[in-house]
Amino acid sequence: MNSMATRREALKKSAVSSIGLMAWLAHAGPSFSQAASEGELVPFLDEPRTPINRLDWEVLDTWLTPSDQVFSVQHYDVPEFDYGDYRLEIGGLVKQPLSFTVEELKNRSKSEVVMTLECSGNGSNKGFMNAVYNSRWTGTPLAPLLKECGIDPTTSEIVFFGKDKKEEILRPGTKRELKVEVPFGRSMSLSEALRPDILLAYERNGEPIEHRNGAPIRLIVPGWYGVANVKWLSRIECRDRRYMGRYMARDYVTVRGERQGDEIVYVESSVTRMQLKSVVARVMRQPTLDNMVPLKAFGAAWDDGTGIAKVEVKIDDGAWQIAKLADAPRSKFAWTFFSIDLGRLPLGPHTIVSRAIDVNGRVQPTADDDEIALKKTYWEAYEQWPRNFAIEA
Amino acid sequence: MNQTLLNLKTMKYFQLAALVVLLLSSCTLEGQEERSTGTIRGSVKYVADPQRPWRLGRYYIRNAKSGEIAEAVVALSRRGLKAIDPITQKKTVSIDQKDFQFSPETVAIRAGDAVRFLNNDSHVHNVKTSHPSQSFNVTMPVGSEHVEVFKSATGINQPYKIDCVFHHAMRAWVFVFDHPWFYVTGADGAFIMEDVPAGEYRLEVVHPAGELREQQTIQVVAGEILSVEIRIQSKSDKS
Repeated sequence: MNSMATRREALKKSAVSSIGLMAWLAHAGPSFSQAASEGELVPFLDEPRTPINRLDWEVLDTWLTPSDQVFSVQHYDVPEFDYGDYRLEIGGLVKQPLSFTVEELKNRSKSEVVMTLECSGNGSNKGFMNAVYNSRWTGTPLAPLLKECGIDPTTSEIVFFGKDKKEEILRPGTKRELKVEVPFGRSMSLSEALRPDILLAYERNGEPIEHRNGAPIRLIVPGWYGVANVKWLSRIECRDRRYMGRYMARDYVTVRGERQGDEIVYVESSVTRMQLKSVVARVMRQPTLDNMVPLKAFGAAWDDGTGIAKVEVKIDDGAWQIAKLADAPRSKFAWTFFSIDLGRLPLGPHTIVSRAIDVNGRVQPTADDDEIALKKTYWEAYEQWPRNFAIEA
Repeated sequence: MNQTLLNLKTMKYFQLAALVVLLLSSCTLEGQEERSTGTIRGSVKYVADPQRPWRLGRYYIRNAKSGEIAEAVVALSRRGLKAIDPITQKKTVSIDQKDFQFSPETVAIRAGDAVRFLNNDSHVHNVKTSHPSQSFNVTMPVGSEHVEVFKSATGINQPYKIDCVFHHAMRAWVFVFDHPWFYVTGADGAFIMEDVPAGEYRLEVVHPAGELREQQTIQVVAGEILSVEIRIQSKSDKS
């Protein structure tokens, strides 16, 4: 098979013809998603093709992600069931257990939240960089439902179970091996569960949630990694003991070394709130002039709702430059688009990287910083993400 | 008188000889006719449909306007093709794993040929297929290789889909045929098939990544070059 001709050419066509292409920065303002005909995409080097159902960074042009770029991950099988028979049970340590059909949930008070949802493993390697998307979720708030049940004062934790089940093997290969079929479950403290912005969602971007993404009802926890947003939600339990299911206590556990004096102490913590992160989505160029090429870069930054204060971008070993954050659209739990005029760069290979800084002054770390370098698990992969490109004449 | 008789005998001899030569040459021509072949040249072009945009088509289509599409598999189909040109020399093609993708993504081989899977990436990968005709699941440490012989021809409709169990976005396709008349298009969308026995065929095209499919009936004439342009279009929504 012949090798594909320059990818740059293909991307150029794609970029120019893309509807709603990110605007050239010269048009200024909140124009990230405006149509533009200026500029040519400079493809990143040594990166895999974007697969289907994953975010397509190179054509990122809409704040709300279309469904064909939405990832879905499930740890047990996708459950098959009739939505007509579906009921959400709320029980455990409550005075009045409750049960709801989808219609009954839809008839309750309605609320919306825009939220960037990211798989906590996203960014762990360049083969897994596209598991993030932004959505407007519609549903009914969780907190009033819990309160209506009459939560017992002994309740310390709320557990959320999906309809997906699987046989888990504990202590495999030992005399104490135990096989037990369990539903997928995740938990949070009672105070966390009573947050007013947590939803029992039935719509994404104004459409019914797709089955692969948790229909008919999905728990939506703004600011928390994807695994906490339990799909095919079937039961909510108030409990007075820590829930230690696989995906709270054994998997999705970050093991990180922390310096305590001269010692490094490893601490295990469950994956919950999203970390501060930014990514350069694309670089656009103008025609070469005197062997120099005008470039602009675009990207996105997000966190757990703390708030992005600024994003800085660096080319090669140059100084950090402040990017412009889009004025709108913005939302507490949603990604913020940024853009930057990089000036004129010489022909040849270059590296570009961004770092987000939040309102508390926290800076997105590099891969060499302790909080990443001493992290022994791949979840919470929020280190800076350098990307390589080459400018041709 | 004797001279006349001799001449007559000689003439009859030459007439007989000419008849034999004519008969023999007729047989030879008939045999050549059976084995005569033609050539098929052509290109596969993607026809964009605004109602069904193919975003990821940018990886395969260099010029959106003219539409030449790379990595499309073109193959002939007709009863009895398997018996015409049995495989005599088995070959091995390579599929590398680099930058978290299979490269090339699509190959086409004959039954009995092999694929050498390589891992020139910085991470451990894997090659796995669960095809009804043949399945394997091999972990590929960095720098390793695995050679797999594909014994069963499953044609253009049932390629072996290759995955990496560790990186679900990685995918490749191995098309295995029981005859030699197939081609994987390059960036120019072009294909060529030579030494094709004359006759009627179904010319089939599949683009596995784009889930595109097309076919047409063609007539190959001995000693001639048949030019074919295949226009292929999305029939369902895709990325």
